[in-house]
Formats: sequence, structure tokens, C-alpha cells
Amino acid sequence: MANHPTTQGAREHTYDAIVIGSGISGGWAAKELCEAGLRTLVLERGRDVQHLKDYPTALNNPWDLPHRGRLPHTTVRDNPIVQRCYAFDEATEHFFVKDAEHPYVQEKRFDWIRGYQVGGKSLIWARQTQRWSRFDFEGAVRDGIADWPIGYDDLAPWYSHVEKFVGISGNRDGVETLPDGEFLPPWEMNDVEQHARGKIMAAFPGRSVVQGRCAHLTEPQPVHLEQGRGKCQARNLCYRGCPFGGYFSSNSATLPWAARTGKLTVRPHSVVESILHSDASGRASGVRVVDAQTKQATEFFARVIFVNAACLNTNLILLNSKSRRFPAGLGNDSGLLGRYVAFHNYRGSLRAEAEGFADSYYSGRRPTQPMMPNFRNVRKQETDFQRGYMVFFSASRPGWTQGNSTPGVGAAFKEKITRPGPWGISMMMQGETVPRKENHGRLSTDRVDAWGVPQLVTSIDYHDNDVKLMRDFLQQGEEMLAAAGAKKITKNDDKRAPGLDIHEMGGARMGRDPKVSLLNRWNQLHSCPNVFVTDGACMASTGTQNPSLTFMAITARAADHAVDELKRGSL
Amino acid sequence: MNRRDAIRHSSLLALAATLGVTLPVRTWAALPATDGWSSDDEALLTLIGDTILPATADSPGAGAVGIGRFITTMVRFCQPPGAEAGVRQVLRELQQQSQERFQRGLAGLGTADRESVLSSFEATAGSRSPNSFRQIKELTLLGYFTSEVGATQALRYDPVPGAYRGSVRMADSDRSWAT
Repeated sequence: MANHPTTQGAREHTYDAIVIGSGISGGWAAKELCEAGLRTLVLERGRDVQHLKDYPTALNNPWDLPHRGRLPHTTVRDNPIVQRCYAFDEATEHFFVKDAEHPYVQEKRFDWIRGYQVGGKSLIWARQTQRWSRFDFEGAVRDGIADWPIGYDDLAPWYSHVEKFVGISGNRDGVETLPDGEFLPPWEMNDVEQHARGKIMAAFPGRSVVQGRCAHLTEPQPVHLEQGRGKCQARNLCYRGCPFGGYFSSNSATLPWAARTGKLTVRPHSVVESILHSDASGRASGVRVVDAQTKQATEFFARVIFVNAACLNTNLILLNSKSRRFPAGLGNDSGLLGRYVAFHNYRGSLRAEAEGFADSYYSGRRPTQPMMPNFRNVRKQETDFQRGYMVFFSASRPGWTQGNSTPGVGAAFKEKITRPGPWGISMMMQGETVPRKENHGRLSTDRVDAWGVPQLVTSIDYHDNDVKLMRDFLQQGEEMLAAAGAKKITKNDDKRAPGLDIHEMGGARMGRDPKVSLLNRWNQLHSCPNVFVTDGACMASTGTQNPSLTFMAITARAADHAVDELKRGSL
Repeated sequence: MNRRDAIRHSSLLALAATLGVTLPVRTWAALPATDGWSSDDEALLTLIGDTILPATADSPGAGAVGIGRFITTMVRFCQPPGAEAGVRQVLRELQQQSQERFQRGLAGLGTADRESVLSSFEATAGSRSPNSFRQIKELTLLGYFTSEVGATQALRYDPVPGAYRGSVRMADSDRSWAT
């Protein structure tokens, strides 16, 4: 039973703002709202994770790990979903939700990868940070797949705002399809990548190869030092939490920054069951929380609520927020809440051997790789599939692992496999998927989780368009690798399920028309304007970029608007 | 235990003891023995591992990091049930082939003959599923190159590189990075 506070209790449970979720977008909401002077409560369903203190494996050498990074087969057996995630291993497993901890119903197979802790998935993200270009917004509108109420010009100043604080390394490339940002010095390409870049750009006019942009401090600025963060040390052990604060996370940056204002309260172990709606005022009044450990229900109240629970959980909370006014979920007049979920298509990849460069090597472990901004259907529809894809590639020389496929034993074998092997190039895709009404999440009618909240049913799948797009990538990738002089090119479709990209977006999409969208141009629910949704759930289309930077920019922009509206007395 | 087994037993343990003389602190030998694996089997795995990756001019071999115990630990805890039986089977067959070709077990062979037994076994094991010899070899490589000795002496280990340099000229003698 909910613990309905007395008047005194209600006062103690009342804040200016509530932020649901402490991940990459929730951290930004907290920072911006606290800096504006709002007393802000951040609700996090998982445990607390303090920067530095709670990174138990961050300084481990390979030999310090009991199974050298490998997981016990019992962990693999018990976690068929999360064990498929590339970043889940012996050194990082404590930052991932185990399958049994939060069950859901897969009407269609969906690998839902989650991080329930203070900081959320900002501890375990891939840290690649590209701006959307105007073509990503306009193209989706042109194709009739989204009703974006904002464009690049609306976001550009907010990209700059977050980039300066986050610290983004990158080169100013002047490419219209991947706008430059506020960059720290870029990471280097190695000799083979430089060579491939030149060959590909010569053979395919109009296609660009740029060095990846990522949230790593290559040259910390005063604002980063003030956060207590230092230079990235090129260890590439990021998923364990960084002891140098070399990459951006809520834990290392936004949350401590917000805490310094004295306005922040973070409440871990707080599962948000629903958002409370006051039919009298037409506004949300607060949230109902179930304590993750005691299962005790409590309510908290605020004038403005930011929902940043990560795409699918944000949808789940909104769907479960039923009232007389909103019997189908908060703000769900259109009936489309939970629908038009999309993701990124990672199925295709290529591998090849690169000849030569036998005396060339590299040192350090780089947290990014060269990228090719989308070159398909940019200015007009040109192919037999909709939208496009970003290409990533990298070149490297195998170390001792080449011994696994090298016959032989003994001293000569050992000598051979301890020297760098021949160069290889690998290439992967990040394809836009078209949001479709049938791809959705909804509440289970018969299953609840351990906190009494209905389980999520996922019904999200590929479409023929995704397969066509992947085939095009594989063909173009093969041609580009051949142009780069690579040999023994092999193509692969790993047929992975949606979800493993960990780029799920939509369900509460922004739009101009309330009949076909949930959120307005400021991320407010059309019909409940003091509720802002600024995580992946708000996305009307997916673009081909890694999405977190855009979530951060959208969040800062929406928070600024919320503060304005509060000052104006209109919320 | 018959006489032949007794000789094999003592020579294996003696060999293992030789290999283990310089065991650094942080090796698998510091862990408890894996349940169900005899010290003989562990010593034989150590011998096989040390044959795959022997001591060379600049670095000790896999025997020096207690590779047998690493392999038994990993097949028990990190590989699917059934992997252990496959590894035991390979041990039996290797001993059998050693007996057939040289009239003694692996521990009684000189380096060249032991390598020969392993190499010809590897050449014919490729079509097996699961390929338990390959599992032994992969675990030997994993255990050795992620050990302190393997990472820092057989390879180059830089825990805190500080930066990435994309174009570094290398000499033929330069070793790979451990990570």
C-alpha cells in the first residue's frame, strides 16, 4: 500500500523537480535543473555507485582477475540475454542487470541490455559522440517516417553546450553530413587506416572517412579539471569505470557537479511505479516509488518531472501511469505510447587482411576508430531501401591470440605468436531502422515484476528494409575494402536480435501533431506539459549516429525550457 | 598403482616441481587444486602447456605459471559441463600415442619427441568436435599471456599508456602488446 504522507510528510517529500533515472540523460537533467536553483530529486532504481570508490576492477591487471576476464559457465547459462553483450565480462558484470533480476516478456526476441545503478549505462556506454546533421532530421521528415518538430539549428547550440562540459575528442572535418563540434584534439589513425582512408575517398567521391569523435579527454580543459577529471590514459578498460575520469559518465561529471549546488538529492533503490496525475490541475503531481529493497511504497511531489529511465523503462512507467484522465497511460491521447520503437541495425560486418606495413605498429589502446558518415539517401531517395548507415572500420595487428589459429607447439611457435601478426581490417555498420507502428512495447496483462509493476512485453523486430540496407552495406563495404587494397574479404550477417545494439529509441516520440506523437518540440507531453521525456524514448527517428550525445543536448535544451516556464509561472 | 604408473607419477611430479621452482606469487598454483583433478593430471597438463609454450631466451615457459591448475580451473568453471571429460580423454590419448611411438609416457620424453606427439595429435584433432586439444592449447595461451610473467616478459605490457600513437616503426624483434 502506498504510504500517503501527512501534510508534514508531503512537505518533506516535495521538491521543485523530480528526475526519474540517473543515466546519461538523467544526469544532465539533474545538472541543469540544480544549476538553475531547483531542488531536484533524482530517483534511481539501482544501487549507488560512487565515482572511483565503486570501480572495484578498474586497476586490475589481467592476472588479477580470477578467470582472466572470462565468465563462469554458470553465469553464461543463467544469463542468456546479457551474456551476448560484448562489454559483459568478469571485470564488468557488476554494472549489468542479470536476466533473472528484471524479467520481461519477449513476444519477439529482443536482447534488452540494462544497467541499474546510479549512473546507469553511462558507466558502460561505448562513448562515441557524433552530432546529427540537418539531413538526419529533414530526411526522416522527407521520407514520411517522422514528424520531427525540431531540426539541427535548434540543437546546435545545445550540442555545443554539452560538448564543452563532456569533453569530446575529434577532428574538425568540415563534413556537412557529420557537423563539427567543440572538439578536444582527435585520436590518431594508424598507418593502415590512413592508407585506407586515402584510397576510399579517392575511389568514392562524396564519401568521407573521419576519425571517430568520442567522450574522452585528450586534453582536459579547466571545466574538466574542475570536475575532478583527468586525461584519458588510453587503457581502454572503460567499462570498469575510469579511475582517471578520462571518459564522461553521470558518476564522474554531471551528478557530482549537480551535488555541489546543494540542491541535489539522489535516492537509489527507488523503483518508480508510476507518475501521479492530478485531474484537477491537469498536471502531474509527483511519482509513486517502490523501495527496491523493502518494497515499501512512497510518494514524492514536484512541479516538474523529467522521465529519463532509459527508452523502454520510460515507456513502461508512462504506460503504467493510469488515471481517470489517462486510462491508457500518461499523455497517451494518441494511443501510440510504446509504439514506433526503433533501434540500430548492427547485423553486417566485414573482415579482411591488409598487405604490407610490416614495420608499422602502434602504441596505446584507442577508445575510438575511423567513421564514415552516412552516404546513402542523404539528399534524395536513391536506393531500393529507406534511410542509410554509418560505417566504422579499424585496422590492427593481432597479438598472442593469433596463436589460437596457428598450428604448432614449442619455442619457434612461441616466438612467432609473440610478434605482431599481419594487419587486419574490420568494418561494421550502424544502420538507421524505420520506426514502425507494429514495433512496440506494452504492459503485460498477467505478469508483474518483483515490485508489483507489470512486466514489459517487447514486440520489436527487423523489417525487409533492414535486410536490404544491410546487404547494401556489405556490398559497399566489400568494394571499399577492395579499393583500399585489402585481401581475403569476408562478409558476415550475425543475425543478432534487436536490442543488442543498446540503441533502442522511440515509443514516446516527439512530433508537431499530437495525434501522431506524444511530445512537443520541448519534450513536454502534449497533454501533460510538466512532464518532460528526454531520453531515447523521445526520438522520432534514429539517425545513424550513436545517440547519447543527442539525448544529452535534447535534455539540456528541455531543462532550460522547463526553467523558463517555471519562472514564467506557466508550469 | 603398478610400477609403470608409479614411475610416470614420480617423474611427472618431479618435472612439475622443476617447472614450478621459480613460481611467482600470483599464479594459478596459489589457488586450491580443482576438485576431481588428480595432481598427476594437473602435472601432465602443466607439462603439455610447457611444451606448447616453453621457456625461451627472454621468458619462462607456461609451466612456470602453474598452467595445469589454470587449465583445470577453467575447464571446470568457465567451460560447459562435458569439457572436462573431453580434456581427460585427450590426456589419455596423448599418453597412449606417446607409449605407442616411444614406449613411454610424455613425461619420459625429450622435448623434440614430446613436441612431435603434440604436433601430430594437433594435426589429426582438427575435425573433432569438441576439439579438446584445441581447448587445452587455447587455455595455455590465455593463462600464460595473461599471467604477469607472460604479459611482461614474453610480451610487452603497458598498463597506463597515456596516449595512442598511430604510427610507430618497429623492429623485427619487437614483441606484441599484451593487451
